[in-house]
Amino acid sequence: MAEDSAGLPSNYQFWMQKLSVWTQASTLETQRDICLHLPQFQKFLRQMYETLKEMDSNTIIERFPTICQLLAKSCWSPFILAYDENPKILIWCLCCLIKKDPQNSRESKLNSWTRRLLSHIVSTFRFDIKEVGLFNQVLGYAPTDYYPGLLKNMVLSLLSELRENHLNGFNSQRRMSPERVRSLSRICVPLVTLPDFEPLVEALLTYHGHEPQEVLWPEFFDAVNEAFLLKKISLPMSAVLCLWLRHLPSLENTMLHLFEKLISSERNSLRRIECFMKDSLLPEAAACHPAIFRVVDEIFRSTLLETDGAPEVLAGIQVFTRCFVEALEKENKQLKFALKTYFPYAPASLVMVLLQHPEDIPQGLWHQSLKHISEMLKEIVEDHGSYGGPFESWFLFVHFGGWADITAEQLLMSEAEAEPPEALLWLLAFSCSPGTGHQQRAQTMVEVKTVLGRLTKLFRSPTLSAGDLQAAAGENRGGDPRPPACQQLVRRLLLHFLLWAPGGHAIAREVITLMAQTDAIMNEIIGFLDYTLYRWDHLCVEAHRSRKLARELLTELREQA
Amino acid sequence: MDSLLEHLERFSEVLAVSRTTHVSTWDPAAVRRALQWAGYLRHIHRRFGRHARIRKAVEQRLQNQWKLEGDSGPAPAPGLANFQALGHCDQLLSLRLLANPALGDAAFHCLLQQLFPGPGVPDAGEEALQGSLARFARCRAAAHMLRFHAYRENPVLQKDSVMKTQAELLLRRLQEVGEAEAEGPGRLLSRLWERLPRNNFLKVMAAALLLPPASPRLQEEELGVGSPRTPGDGRQELLRWLLGKSDVVVAFCRNLPAELLTSVAGRHPELAPVYLGLLTNWGRQLHYDLPKGLWIGTEPQDVPWEELFSRFQSLCQAPPPLKNEVLTALKSYKAQDGDFEVPGLSIWTDLLLALGSRV
Repeated sequence: MAEDSAGLPSNYQFWMQKLSVWTQASTLETQRDICLHLPQFQKFLRQMYETLKEMDSNTIIERFPTICQLLAKSCWSPFILAYDENPKILIWCLCCLIKKDPQNSRESKLNSWTRRLLSHIVSTFRFDIKEVGLFNQVLGYAPTDYYPGLLKNMVLSLLSELRENHLNGFNSQRRMSPERVRSLSRICVPLVTLPDFEPLVEALLTYHGHEPQEVLWPEFFDAVNEAFLLKKISLPMSAVLCLWLRHLPSLENTMLHLFEKLISSERNSLRRIECFMKDSLLPEAAACHPAIFRVVDEIFRSTLLETDGAPEVLAGIQVFTRCFVEALEKENKQLKFALKTYFPYAPASLVMVLLQHPEDIPQGLWHQSLKHISEMLKEIVEDHGSYGGPFESWFLFVHFGGWADITAEQLLMSEAEAEPPEALLWLLAFSCSPGTGHQQRAQTMVEVKTVLGRLTKLFRSPTLSAGDLQAAAGENRGGDPRPPACQQLVRRLLLHFLLWAPGGHAIAREVITLMAQTDAIMNEIIGFLDYTLYRWDHLCVEAHRSRKLARELLTELREQA
Repeated sequence: MDSLLEHLERFSEVLAVSRTTHVSTWDPAAVRRALQWAGYLRHIHRRFGRHARIRKAVEQRLQNQWKLEGDSGPAPAPGLANFQALGHCDQLLSLRLLANPALGDAAFHCLLQQLFPGPGVPDAGEEALQGSLARFARCRAAAHMLRFHAYRENPVLQKDSVMKTQAELLLRRLQEVGEAEAEGPGRLLSRLWERLPRNNFLKVMAAALLLPPASPRLQEEELGVGSPRTPGDGRQELLRWLLGKSDVVVAFCRNLPAELLTSVAGRHPELAPVYLGLLTNWGRQLHYDLPKGLWIGTEPQDVPWEELFSRFQSLCQAPPPLKNEVLTALKSYKAQDGDFEVPGLSIWTDLLLALGSRV
């Protein structure tokens, strides 16, 4: 609070200056400047109100002698008055100036002045259209009766003009010139959140003139996107598509908004992330248009690199992909665009296999799909084919995160005596770190093979102890310490084991306590459990006991954290 | 039901007073009470919107106030025009009180507290009054901005948004007033004719006559009408009044552009003979000036040849019933004058000749 009141005086000076410039002349430049500053100005007004409401009107005048000018100038500017919550906030500020019982003529004068301004805000006579006003007065209608109808008619008329452009192109007399369309988009900036304007906003977004450059004001797109992100307006898919395709910053801002939600302080469950994801309309838009998918994917990719593979971003990618695939299938039976347009860095055959839903394949055949995926990936990665480097292939693979976990489960549940297939081991090793070279991967495979060997032996054991598992997961004596990625992989195998092995349930909590030596590892375990439940829901996996355990563990660990 | 109607009456009185200096006697409690009544009526509107009997009763009571007006004196502004108005009667009251300088400071302070409690007050179910008043302010600013920056007058009069709105409101009011008593619409129109700038009013009338007939269901929603009415009742009243007032119909036919009149005559066949009659009279005022070779008038207010011609031309371009009617009339006048083919003897011959191939 102390910071706010310190910052307020300088802000105040800044905005007083701005207002003086803005109210001097209404040129295109000043209008543009106003539109650029509308969100911050509203914030400032809110701050002012929070400050003013604590004071009585005499104190206010002492502290802010030019407050009346500030408020008056704001009210006289239609662009400012029309924006979002400004009328409300300005009214609240003015209410602070009213005295219940003025003691002297100065206070009375202030009261009358404030009352006049208040009345102006809600009954803006200055803005009245003369012919309409007089006419309705004689008819006996109040402004509340006719203004909504007038606005509706004006909007309808503009809509039909915009439509003319689509239908008749150059020939129609009623066609709107590009300047008028631009002018209209400028006026819409403060009014985007007014419900009566929704059809106009939509029509402008989907407007396609015959000019080569963009005709609409960029501030218009910004305003629409802001309002859309804050859920102050709702738009149909077609309008959102136009918004993002025509104005890249809007799409980028939407992604930023999404990341803020993903990497927020409270640990979001994947179910909730899925809700955010679907709400944002990103997966649906990406399904409708590959360009959007590519931009979104690229942003995910660079964020993943920048954050060094942050698990939240990874989770975001996986949820996004799942929603995207769902939307793609709902859209149409045959893909409107070739897979190549969505995934140019991978062979179509690989993408097709990855896109398959495991739940559509009989469980007995999962082995085969996994082998297939592994072989194709191996070919790309180790033969340095024409499809980008190992990172690209890995990035593609992690979109469809479920396959790596299915690999782990399959390996765990195979026969104790049988040799784990090389292909599956390779896939597991690859999934945990793409950057490692051939050498390190081979080493990981050996490590994993050893651990698996021990775990599969213990799998059918009815009674187990935590010590057994610790021994099973233990590192090979005399070898180099395991790289962290490999260690993480082993932890995952252990967790899979605990959930699936009949004897695992009893010792689960003990083992986890032993494993979770740092906060990071604890978060990792929580993330794993959340992801597994999420995956099982989609896979329609029965496994009641495993599910129950996973859910219980998740709740307990979340409470502890 | 009776208590509801009584409430209605009392609130209407309060609403009427709210514009006058009488409010200087109101204390904060009176303001609170008035707002509470408004809230109650709004609740009634919400609950009984679909309840035909209650709506009808309320409408009838509201229309009674029209009966009490005489022909003389300025038109009072009735507060509640129809059942639909109950939906925002609190807004109406609030706006009037806010704009009334006679309201005492203490009462005004109370009004502000009631209307604008500030942020953090959850909306009680419906959109709170502070939200709807703010929205209304935005609505007005929006209309102003559109008018100022993006508006272009639509050459088709009845599609121009400002004209269209005025026309719609006129028809709506005529219908409401007609419900109360048969003489109502006529008296209202006469009053409008006296008080409004003539040109604008003529255009509004024309626009109203040319509005597309609303679908009955749409009317029901828009006008909040409880009883079934034939759409276009307002139009009938308007036409009847127009045709009954000779000075108005002369101004109507004289001052409005030719195409507009042709459209109106086409839509409303009752106007055609009157229009034609006027044109005929005006034509008969002109005489042929031999040296100049033109048809000219003697008085300054005579309609010049060019205008007469353009009006007839427009009428002859109208679709069949009207077009044929006009041509038949012209031909018969020409015949009455002697059926000459030579120009300069009968204005009707000359008109027909000028209309030429278009005929």
